[in-house]
Amino acid sequence: MKRGRVLWHLVKADFLGRVRRTSFLVTLAFAVFLGYQTFAGHVVLRLDDYRGVYNSAWVGALMGVVTSSFLTLVGFYIVKGSILRDETTRVGQILAATPMSKSFYTLAKFLGNFAALAAMVLVMAVAALCMQMFRAEDRTLHLGALLSPLLLYALPAMAFVAALAVLFETLPVLRGGVGNVAWFFLWTALLVAGVGPAASRNGSLTRADYFHDFSGLPTMVVQMRTALLKVDPGFQDSISLSIGGKPPQHRFVWTGIRWDSVQVAARLTWVAYAIAAALLASLFFHRFDPARERFTQKQQEAPDRPAVQELAAARELVRSDPWAGRLTPLPPASVKNRFFSVVIAELRLMLQGHRWWWYAVAGGLIVACAAAPLPASSGGIILAAWIWPMLIWSQMGSREARYATGSLIFSAPHALQRQLPAVWVAGVLVTMAAGSGLAIRLLIARDLHGFAGFLVAACFIPSLALALGVWSGSSKSFEALYTVWWYTGAAHHIPGLDFTGTFAASSRPGLYLLLTAALLAACWMRRRTQLAYA
Amino acid sequence: MEPSCTFVRSNPIVQIQIQNLSKTYPNGVKALDHVSLTIPGGMYGLLGPNGAGKSTLMRTLATLQEADSGSAVFGDLDVLRQKEEVRRRLGYLPQDFGVYPNLNTQEFLEYLAAVKGLDATAARRRIDQLLNLVNLADVRSRPLGGFSGGMKQRVGIAQALLNDPQLLIVDEPTAGLDPEERVRFRNLLSELSGERIVILSTHIVSDVEATATDIALISNGALVAHAAPEDLLRRVEGRVWEWVVPSADLNAVKQCYRISNTARRSDGVHVRVLTEEPPAGALPVAPTLEDAYLDSLSIYRAGAIA
Repeated sequence: MKRGRVLWHLVKADFLGRVRRTSFLVTLAFAVFLGYQTFAGHVVLRLDDYRGVYNSAWVGALMGVVTSSFLTLVGFYIVKGSILRDETTRVGQILAATPMSKSFYTLAKFLGNFAALAAMVLVMAVAALCMQMFRAEDRTLHLGALLSPLLLYALPAMAFVAALAVLFETLPVLRGGVGNVAWFFLWTALLVAGVGPAASRNGSLTRADYFHDFSGLPTMVVQMRTALLKVDPGFQDSISLSIGGKPPQHRFVWTGIRWDSVQVAARLTWVAYAIAAALLASLFFHRFDPARERFTQKQQEAPDRPAVQELAAARELVRSDPWAGRLTPLPPASVKNRFFSVVIAELRLMLQGHRWWWYAVAGGLIVACAAAPLPASSGGIILAAWIWPMLIWSQMGSREARYATGSLIFSAPHALQRQLPAVWVAGVLVTMAAGSGLAIRLLIARDLHGFAGFLVAACFIPSLALALGVWSGSSKSFEALYTVWWYTGAAHHIPGLDFTGTFAASSRPGLYLLLTAALLAACWMRRRTQLAYA
Repeated sequence: MEPSCTFVRSNPIVQIQIQNLSKTYPNGVKALDHVSLTIPGGMYGLLGPNGAGKSTLMRTLATLQEADSGSAVFGDLDVLRQKEEVRRRLGYLPQDFGVYPNLNTQEFLEYLAAVKGLDATAARRRIDQLLNLVNLADVRSRPLGGFSGGMKQRVGIAQALLNDPQLLIVDEPTAGLDPEERVRFRNLLSELSGERIVILSTHIVSDVEATATDIALISNGALVAHAAPEDLLRRVEGRVWEWVVPSADLNAVKQCYRISNTARRSDGVHVRVLTEEPPAGALPVAPTLEDAYLDSLSIYRAGAIA
């Protein structure tokens, strides 16, 4: 009983802390946006040229699968960071001094994350209700059919995401930017692992397949397929869940999912996985022990000076002469407006702290870009070269907020006119250096269009990083957005979304030049406000 | 040509004139309420309880925050409008600041020197001097991530002095320092105040009593008192008394008198009170700045309630 009460208060405090932040409103706004897009018919579940009549069953299934497929990706980025927040606010130090066990803490964090994600599911449920009522294709309300996909598809998927966010935060390698990138690929793998078996067995599922299905889409589609085959025996098994595109021309009536014990058990298994992941996280959780937090290695490498010795030295200093040295006044000529030295300082700051192998891989990618045939270089290797420095870019603009150095830097002269552009120039130099192998190839091949695209991309990537960093004060937004953009737009060379600019078929340098200008203007405006300019 | 140690500052020490400075936060908290002050050269103590508005005043003078109304003039510079000019002459140690944990002290100061526009040679020489000054020369290669609160604070004062500022603003600088470091820090600020304005904001009276030439007391965003420490002491002269009471009577004494300090000893509790009419058996004692501070605050609060 007492343990339950403690857990309740931990989750309650965590949840209240979240909902009173502006970021939570942004979270809900995103759910509302996605709900509206689905409502407006921009998100379509299509079987050949068919979609279901908007009755309770179809609308509920659509919202459920949109939530478990799309919102899970974003939801992870939204909830990840709750342990870090306890660390930075030092509330963790207080909690660590209580009798609370580590597993209790990670469970509470999991439930806090889950509560926030469940609020998004609630928004989707309201959107489902509105969609059925306002689209008015079939207004007969079947609450079970409308809500069961949200309860049994969306919520277990969200629970798993909530627990993974806690697990990622406790694992040293995955708690930062690497984890943000890894989640995107894990999320893709989770979706594919569910859809794969259904596709390979021509729409039929085995008992084990239900347990591998993360989103619920294949399970649901199998039942829809059966219903559609009765209406149109010539159904070709072309199924897609997409955003945008031409709406299907035909409709059929689908009466809903027929839940059986295997399906329900399979969905509840994801909740069990979630609890297991939260408990697993407790094994890696550092309990806010500073020695196990961030700088352990550096401290060990540093020459050790015992505290007693340091104190004795300080005492001696106070006794002998409180004034250990004299300051020579600084000649006025030594303070100059040197932009390039700030660029070098920012560049050093960006490149500091990486291991030798980081530089080895970056160097290897430059050489590979320069040595490979131009099509392979501009269509493939450059992608690797321009994802590798992502954790450098993601610090741009957010570093001052993350390390609380803003008041030191913003009180320096020309912080807006000198430091901010210097960060950008340093970012452009890093991007150009990372892709320099390709630049050489383009110049040798006299591909000036490609080279122009390269230059625009080298300006665009750091501009995006800087703008998101300055506006959000966190590296997470860039890490999440860039990974998704890089994979969906650049890696698949989608015209308009391929920002690399070096692959002729999908290159749109003009568009990205405009975007770069807009992003830089956004950085300038935001930083101007941060510097208290009226 | 090496700059000589007898280099004479060409700019005379100027003063800061603050007129009717006000700031109300969006949540309705009035952080500054028509504050008017003249801050002369030397060490200036800004004293007040937590939440009094000291940090708001400090941030406004450090050009990091807008005021709703009023003015602040530093020499011939308008602090609220000529921010860049003020920043050239400013050294600021915020109450709460961070460092880049992967950099060492030398690298961190080099970075901030570049941001402040110092040329590389001058910066290197300056950093050497500053590291000696704040006693961090031996640990200049140690990553800042492993520094104690006191060591980090010393890095903070070193960065504030990088550009040889005419105006040095230090906000609660002794928080987290051990007694030795605190003494050392006070001495350091006192020395530095010889050739610039040093504004020291604190809620700890002993931080300013030995070093400040002028003190402003702030409470609830309003100026309570503004005087030299000697003048503040004179206001309570003859009104501070000490006497010994049994432990059991302490609560009753607290009900009747304004107590500035108590100390348990073998003969009972030594109680220090601020009063016009001394209790029987009480002996007059020399007032401290802490007595004067408590007296001014309680008079102000009584007036505010009335």
